[in-house]
This record gives sequence, structure tokens and C-alpha cells, in this order.
Amino acid sequence: MNDTNRATNRILILVIGMITLAVGAGSILLGIAGPVRSGWRRAAPDVSQQIADTFAAATIPGTSSSWLSVAGVAVLIVLVVLLIVFILRQGNGRTRHLLRSEPGEHGGVAIDAAFAEQSLQNFLDTKSELVASHVSTYQVRNTPVLKVVVTCRRGVSPKDVGDVIDSSLASLDHLLGQHLSTFVQISGGFRARMTKSTRLQ
Amino acid sequence: MTSEQATYARVIRRETHSPRSGLAIVLAVILILVCAWLGTEIVLALLGRPALLVAPVDMGRGVVAIGRYPTVPVIIAGVIVAIIGLILVVVSVSAGRRARHVLPSQRSAIVVDDEVIASALARQASYAGNIDPDDVEVRVSRRSASVRIRPTSGQSVDKDAIEHAVTEMLERYQTAPALHARVSVQKEAKVGA
Repeated sequence: MNDTNRATNRILILVIGMITLAVGAGSILLGIAGPVRSGWRRAAPDVSQQIADTFAAATIPGTSSSWLSVAGVAVLIVLVVLLIVFILRQGNGRTRHLLRSEPGEHGGVAIDAAFAEQSLQNFLDTKSELVASHVSTYQVRNTPVLKVVVTCRRGVSPKDVGDVIDSSLASLDHLLGQHLSTFVQISGGFRARMTKSTRLQ
Repeated sequence: MTSEQATYARVIRRETHSPRSGLAIVLAVILILVCAWLGTEIVLALLGRPALLVAPVDMGRGVVAIGRYPTVPVIIAGVIVAIIGLILVVVSVSAGRRARHVLPSQRSAIVVDDEVIASALARQASYAGNIDPDDVEVRVSRRSASVRIRPTSGQSVDKDAIEHAVTEMLERYQTAPALHARVSVQKEAKVGA
């Protein structure tokens, strides 16, 4: 429903997973395989010396510190900013606008999402087979889509609940004079489990 | 209508699969903390101040010295790290289906938690078999719904009637993916009224 980029979520998990797996596999090899161990002992000091030399070659004039260290800090800061942006981009996509007619000679009409949300909500609150309901509006592929989440009582037929919501949506369409795309989620959950089952629907 | 159907297909696909947001956010937060710590250590080293935990130069020395560490702790640490990595890789490529089914609708895109289907089936089964709803246990998985009935001692259970009622109900729902009902009566009965 929201516009979270799921591909980046998976790519981040995959990349971190691969790195972790590689480090783990490397450590196991170092522990198990003698040749790898002796190879590491031989090569590692040289590589570390080379890195130290590279750092020493790029010293900031007048100091003993290296440009590369400063560059390293800069890269880390960029990475942190990117990760914060990544986190903040999760779960967005809600909208407050529902419909907007082209302004004509006599002005235009804009309808807020809250109108549809509240009218549906008020109707669903009167239904005894539902414990709770929540309506929100998301922008999906540039069209507003209503999201109706209802929690039903134990034993209530989801088909009947779906039919009730569909008929209420038909009334809403009639009221607005426009068809609204709607996603309905019928859920159970903790509150449903704690309530009594209905005898009558 | 076709654009609406495409929208519905997208919404349904996204709502029946996990976004993996929780794990991704946790990993991002850990990565941010690690980056912040590393950056702080580098800055402290540049300023010639004492390190918070380990100075960057000592980190390098530590990595070089792994070849001289006793092997067993290195292997154990490696195994733990590798298992975590493997789990992350599997999570990142697996489908991550949620326990939900799609209901057909002319008007909207409807998704139902499996739990709701299970509790509706349990009630239907208890009516059809005239048994206490608490003695019916229903598990709904992706393609099948298993109904387990614990009979009361001395009373026979009309398994066929229950099977018929449950199957009829599932046929009416027409969930996607389709559910197939399996009714079983437990051998041990409940002693009581």
C-alpha cells in the first residue's frame, strides 16, 4: 500500500548478509585450513604496511595526519546520511487529497481524503461484527486508493464482512459521484481473540 | 478499469508479501551506529586524543594478528557470523509471504488474514457438528485448512456433515490461492458433559 521501496530493503539485507557471510566464511577458513592461516601470516603484515605507507604518502602538509583519514570520515558521514534517508523513506505514501475537479468557469471542487475516511469509518463503527476499523488514503500509481482495515469478531465470516464493506463503498461512490479504488484488509489479531464470538450477524 | 486492475494487482501483491522493512531498518540503525563509532574513532585519532574503545591503528593490527590467534575461538566466531550472514541472505531472497488470502470482489481488493478464515471455519464446523467451538481447532496454511475436532466422550461426531459444511464454505469464499479442507477427529475424546 505504501510506497516503500522494497527492492532497496532487500538489497540492503542481501549486501549486509553477503559481507557477514564472507567474513564468517573467511574466519572459518583461517581457523580450519593451515595453508590459509600461514598465507595470512605471511601476507597480512605486508598488506597492512602498504596501507600504512599509502596513508603516510598523503599527509596533510604541516601535520602528521593523512588526507585519507579525512576522506574516510567523509565517506562514513555520507553513508550515515544515506542510511537515515533510507529509514525515513519507509512507510510513506499517505495522502490527504482524494479528488480534485478541473477548475472551470464557476470554480473547482477538491475533496479531502478525510471526508471519505470519516464517512466510511462512521458507518463501519455501527457494525457489531467488527471490533475495530480504520480507514486511510494512499497514493498508488498516482491515483488515490482507500485502505480499509477492519478487525472482526471471532467466527465472523470474512465474505460477509467483505460484502458489507463493498456495499458501503457503493454508497460512497454514489455520494461522491466517482468510483474510488479501495483495498480492504480483514484481520484478526489480538483484540479479535479477546472478544466474544457473535451469536448473530 | 484496466488501470484499476493493475493498481489492485500491485496492492494485493504488496499486501500479501512482507516488505522486510523491520529487518532493513534494524540493520540500517546498526550500520549507522557502527559508522558513527568508526568516524568518531578516526577523528579522535586525528586529534591525537585517546580512543573510545579501539584506535583505528589497533583495529588494523588486530586484523593482521588473527593468523596468530588460537584457532577454536576464531572458528566459533566465524561459524556464528556466517550463520547470521546466511540467514540474512535467505531472508533477502525468499518471498516472505504473509499468512493472508485474497477474496474475490467486484468492487475492491480484499485480503483476509488466515486467522479470520480459521475462526470462521471453526464456527461453521462447530455448528455443523453440534460441538463446542472450543473443541474445534483450525489451522489455515497457504493451500489447505485442517480442521481438528476433539469429541466429547460418549458422543459421536458427524464427520461427514462437518466436512461438507467446511468444504461448502470454502467453495463460497473462493480464496486465492484456493483452500482445501481436511477434517480429522482426534482419537482421544474429552471427558465431560
